[in-house]
Amino acid sequence: MDKFSVFSSRLVEKSENFTSGHRACQGCAEALAVRHVMKALGRDTIVAMSTGCMEIISSPLPLTSWRVPWIHNAFENSAAVISGCESGMKAMMRKGKIPAKKINFVAMGGDGATADIGMGALSGALERGHNMVYICYDNEAYMNTGIQRSSSTPYGASTTTSPAGKASIGQRTQKKNMAQIAVAHNIPYVATACSSFPFDLMEKVKRAAETPGAAYVHVLSVCPTGWRIPTQDAIKYGRLAVDSCVFPLYEVIEGKYRLTYKPYKKIPLTEYLKGQGRFRHLTDKEIQLIQQKVDKDYERILRLSEEEE
Amino acid sequence: MKGTDALGEAAIRAGCRCYFGYPITPQNEVPEYMSRRMQEVGGVFLQGESEIASINMVLGAAASGMRAMTSSSSPGISLKQEGLSFLAALELPAVIVNINRGGPGLGNIAPSQGDYYQATRGGGHGDYRMPVYAPAYVQELYDITMKSFDVADLYRTPVMILGDGMMGQIVEPIYLHERPDVEIPPKDYILDGAENRPSRIIKSLILDPVEMEEHNWKLKRKYDLMAHELPEWEEFMTNDAKLTIIAYGTAARIAKGAVKRARSEGLKVGLLRPITLWPFPEEAIRNLAKKTKLFLVFEMSTGQMIDDVRLAVEGKVPCEFYGRPGGVVPIPQEIARIIERYWLQKEL
Repeated sequence: MDKFSVFSSRLVEKSENFTSGHRACQGCAEALAVRHVMKALGRDTIVAMSTGCMEIISSPLPLTSWRVPWIHNAFENSAAVISGCESGMKAMMRKGKIPAKKINFVAMGGDGATADIGMGALSGALERGHNMVYICYDNEAYMNTGIQRSSSTPYGASTTTSPAGKASIGQRTQKKNMAQIAVAHNIPYVATACSSFPFDLMEKVKRAAETPGAAYVHVLSVCPTGWRIPTQDAIKYGRLAVDSCVFPLYEVIEGKYRLTYKPYKKIPLTEYLKGQGRFRHLTDKEIQLIQQKVDKDYERILRLSEEEE
Repeated sequence: MKGTDALGEAAIRAGCRCYFGYPITPQNEVPEYMSRRMQEVGGVFLQGESEIASINMVLGAAASGMRAMTSSSSPGISLKQEGLSFLAALELPAVIVNINRGGPGLGNIAPSQGDYYQATRGGGHGDYRMPVYAPAYVQELYDITMKSFDVADLYRTPVMILGDGMMGQIVEPIYLHERPDVEIPPKDYILDGAENRPSRIIKSLILDPVEMEEHNWKLKRKYDLMAHELPEWEEFMTNDAKLTIIAYGTAARIAKGAVKRARSEGLKVGLLRPITLWPFPEEAIRNLAKKTKLFLVFEMSTGQMIDDVRLAVEGKVPCEFYGRPGGVVPIPQEIARIIERYWLQKEL
């Protein structure tokens, strides 16, 4: 906790830039993540948002939940659109048409928009090094269109286009590691976060916004509807994902890894998987295999972060 | 059976063993059905990482001789246009389903007919045409899906099926028949390894303008043949009709109800429903223009098919238009009121 600038809910920004009254499902941890992110970013922010759950629920014309400048664009383009916003604003400030000040340029997308269809635009924006933050809200499938698999869906999960049954285990491929792909672009700041750890999330978003150049934040957002869990348990499952090391929270500053939350006691994977409807068909043997993969990945992150220390 | 399920089942019974899709509302039930059924019949269901990937996977599967299809909805079809243009240029057979929704931009997910221009005028770049079917009933959707694979193979062309969310969601009793016997010419263009024979090359880059012109004329001859052989339409009470409604797809279903209402009040109204949007059934409209006094084009858009109707009518009969864009689905009474208004105005 020593490295957080805010560690008491009393000290968190009071104003809401992403307001209540939106149409998210009951227990949506993604909407919660957006709320925390917007608290961290403040009002001098331009948001470009891809099509997806958060766009649909927050902006049914003529209503909107956004209290910041906000532009919606087609599924694959948010990174490209924010690049354009940033370049345009830079030119305007250089010419003195608007007073120079610090504005946060933020692109947001779901895991489908980030890891699948918008990958090219994101890679281009990271490579060019625009002064922007890309935030991926990862709920591990295309939830908005009705729970179809994405490349961010974990191995073994049952979705409507990777149904589990006699012939198939469900999703057959491993989850694409977007944070590592962002790290491979050698950008100054990459982080993973989860809305069950709000102080950690806000801290990372603030740091990403302060970093000159491109930054990437990957936020695991529990989706009770798609994961088939009780709506009151969204926060719990976010904590379980982190505590079981399925989704380690770390940040990479200029290539240096730092584990921001080390579970006091690593809990077994079954704790996280059981209770989730999308994993209920998995046998003990299959869970064992997934556990091995999780252990291997976590050890790698642990090793990288210890090397730095 | 539900529209989307009928579509999937027809494709599988027509021998489609490759389906490439991507999530977009309101066509998600198609990939969902396919992901289940393809497992059972030993085919391939694959969800691409983007619309562009999906259409190009279809292109690849077609090049290796498989019957392949993809489905999407308006914004997704916009992304697929490059692939469509390439399929047409490379003369590869494929079936593309467009479950039309409100637009432009992201629009909404309600039934709409705003993609008529895009579907019939090419959409992609270059000098090409593509057969477009617009079914209005689930049975017809089933039949047409089955048939479009044959059409695609016979003419070596991409074929589009244009529906909307309503078409996809409607549940109607249908007869699930097997594919009728159609002689398909051997696929002598496919890429399947070149042991003991010269290799085949599929390409659309023709730098020499003269050769390119030749290729264009060759395609044109094919399109002329299709324009001659493919048009399909349905006529409903047109024999003695003084006012003829022209509508397709969902709009035609609504118009049919309106025609029945008007007839019960003694107004001589008929309906012509194009089943193929390209080639457009011009002949049928030209014949009707000799009998009817007024054409009323009804579309769920701001007026796109009206252009084709006017071209076919050649000014011989006045053409009026009524449209509800943006995903509004009117009820038959509304169309019946419009019919009555024109009936009185024009003193038919």
